[in-house]
Amino acid sequence: MDKFIDELPSYVDIIKSIKETIITNIVLIGQIPCSTFKEKRRVNMFMERMSDASVDECRTDSYNNPIGIIKGTSETKPPIFVVAHLDSFTEKNVDHNYMVKENTITGPGILDNAIGVGVLISLPEIIKKSNLSFESDIVLAGVIQSIGKGNLRGIRHLLKIWDSPIRGAICLEGCELGRLNYYSDGMIRGEIECSISKFQNRTNNFHPNAILTLNEVINQILKIHLPQRPRSRIIFGKISGGFKHGKTAYDARLGFEIQSDSDKMVKNIYTDIKDIVIGISHEYDVELKLKTISNANASKLSYNHPLVKNAWAIMDQLNIKPVSEPSESELSIFLSHKIPAITVGITRGSNYHLDNARMEIEPMFKGIAQIIGLLMAIDEGICDESQLA
Amino acid sequence: MNHNWLETNTYHYSAFSDINRLVEAKNKKNLTISLCLPTLNEEKTIAKEIVIMKSELMTRYPLLDEIVVVDSGSRDKTREVAKAYGADVYKASDILPDLENYKGKGENLWKALYITKGDIIVYIDADIKNIHHRFVYALIGPLLLSDNIKYCKGFYTRPISIGKNNLQSTGGGRVTELVIRPLFSLFFPELTQIIQPLSGEYAGYRSIFENIPFPVGYGIETTMILDIYKNWGLDVIAQVDLEQRIHRNQDTKALGKMAFVILKTFFKRMEKSNLIDFKKELFNEMIQYDLVQNSYQPFYYEDKTYERPPMIEIVKYCEKYNIKR
Repeated sequence: MDKFIDELPSYVDIIKSIKETIITNIVLIGQIPCSTFKEKRRVNMFMERMSDASVDECRTDSYNNPIGIIKGTSETKPPIFVVAHLDSFTEKNVDHNYMVKENTITGPGILDNAIGVGVLISLPEIIKKSNLSFESDIVLAGVIQSIGKGNLRGIRHLLKIWDSPIRGAICLEGCELGRLNYYSDGMIRGEIECSISKFQNRTNNFHPNAILTLNEVINQILKIHLPQRPRSRIIFGKISGGFKHGKTAYDARLGFEIQSDSDKMVKNIYTDIKDIVIGISHEYDVELKLKTISNANASKLSYNHPLVKNAWAIMDQLNIKPVSEPSESELSIFLSHKIPAITVGITRGSNYHLDNARMEIEPMFKGIAQIIGLLMAIDEGICDESQLA
Repeated sequence: MNHNWLETNTYHYSAFSDINRLVEAKNKKNLTISLCLPTLNEEKTIAKEIVIMKSELMTRYPLLDEIVVVDSGSRDKTREVAKAYGADVYKASDILPDLENYKGKGENLWKALYITKGDIIVYIDADIKNIHHRFVYALIGPLLLSDNIKYCKGFYTRPISIGKNNLQSTGGGRVTELVIRPLFSLFFPELTQIIQPLSGEYAGYRSIFENIPFPVGYGIETTMILDIYKNWGLDVIAQVDLEQRIHRNQDTKALGKMAFVILKTFFKRMEKSNLIDFKKELFNEMIQYDLVQNSYQPFYYEDKTYERPPMIEIVKYCEKYNIKR
């Protein structure tokens, strides 16, 4: 194994030699608006690029996840998956045309996840250029309906219908280079909606305010005891409501996420929030609805799993400093299927979810070299005997 | 008037999306193809154009033999960025330096004839925000797959980019509809079939371009069509629907200046062809008014339209390409 790790830095220059192709793929895929549930045009572009790169097999599954397969030399070794989610947070009406400069590319959705998808569809040419072949088939999958309300439906479906074993998986995210996710928290993402009828007769002349009601909900959620073990937290991520400054708010919405490394704790906290919502709804005589947007189970590779150890060594060899945090992405679905998997970031960037999100071009080549290193490591069999923790 | 032209010589870009077929035709005809991007302060868009064309039409499919940028003297990083992505970059003033120096798009296109090698030359504007390689291969397609077509013009729907990050779906092509189409209707009704005569995307054989004069400024697209029509007829021209093109929005005053130059160029051509006889010289100044501190102030825009002769008449060009004069 050490030999290919030693050779990894030399791949950086090979990858750089086709930078135009990689940048073109990032730009062409990223400039197509692709909000969740509206991925069709990006799926078509994915297929077109796979076909242009002459991959051995190119198709969509029954859920419309686009897939390209580079055939391996062995007929018995299970495939290795590389995946990136196709959908983006950016709305359709935003100008999606990217600006390429000497060292950067700027445009909405580039970091999440045009880079991931652009690099994914460049892999056939990168592998060809690097003169590499693998024993395993390499399955390149763009997965749809991943983020937000998509609730990882694309990857859930893909793994549900994939009826043969999978050797290992690499999930690609645009940022940050050094990101190394190998465990996934249990998670419930929810939304609390408060609506108040303007026309309802109020006997006590008191008219509730949706924003203040949600404020009370927040206050009560903040009182929930969160243990340090199992590690648990509640994140308030989104809030909106009201009509104008001088008018009582009749509607308001709060988006939150419960995260814990214990699924049981996630459920308990969710039940507590549900009780708070029901209680305040009665007390204030308002309509309060609690909806689950998405969820995932806690799962992890242990720190000493060969995939994690190899990823660490590969990054080290490329002078990339690894940073580990939990991730609630495609990773959690692979891990819950007992498939060894990690998520890596490809380059550095700024203005992450803004319309002027910006990626740096130069670090990307190292980011891609680490993917090549991981493919080689999995192909050498590092995941074959291992068990998930 | 030949009404069939629109039907027979108009294509959709998708008819040429099999780029392998174009490469085969190019090789069979033993041709070389150059892409030329005329620039002036285009650092925001030039890299994307070069990267995509190089990746798709040089690396993936060997359709283009070179990408050349001819710059009018940008003050931003246009030339550095273009060089960084591998284009051959020239300052227009450095090409044929013995000749008097002019600034303008037409000047860049004319000088590109001297420094490019291709039998076919593709010109595209460098400010296209939604650039795609179809903008180039689709213009080359009719030239390679037909024996008659010598010049191919692009047309498209033109949403304009408004404000920081929004698009408006109409509003492009105003000078075409308000100036060029009325003029063509009056003098050359056949030419009204060209949907966007002012589009900056076109390709043609060197043998055509080297034999026509080039006004140095805005008038180049108009005279190019008039000269090709006059010398070779409408049947050597084709047009291709490139679908959407997003470009910078220009205010009405800027379009007014463009319209002024185009009108002047057109009238000069008409006068030269004895189709119009002016009793006195036309003025060289476009006068526009702005309200400044409660009074209208005139602003003058002077256009000394200069026209480069056909490149074939330039001695150095003939020497470079071994052309006997």
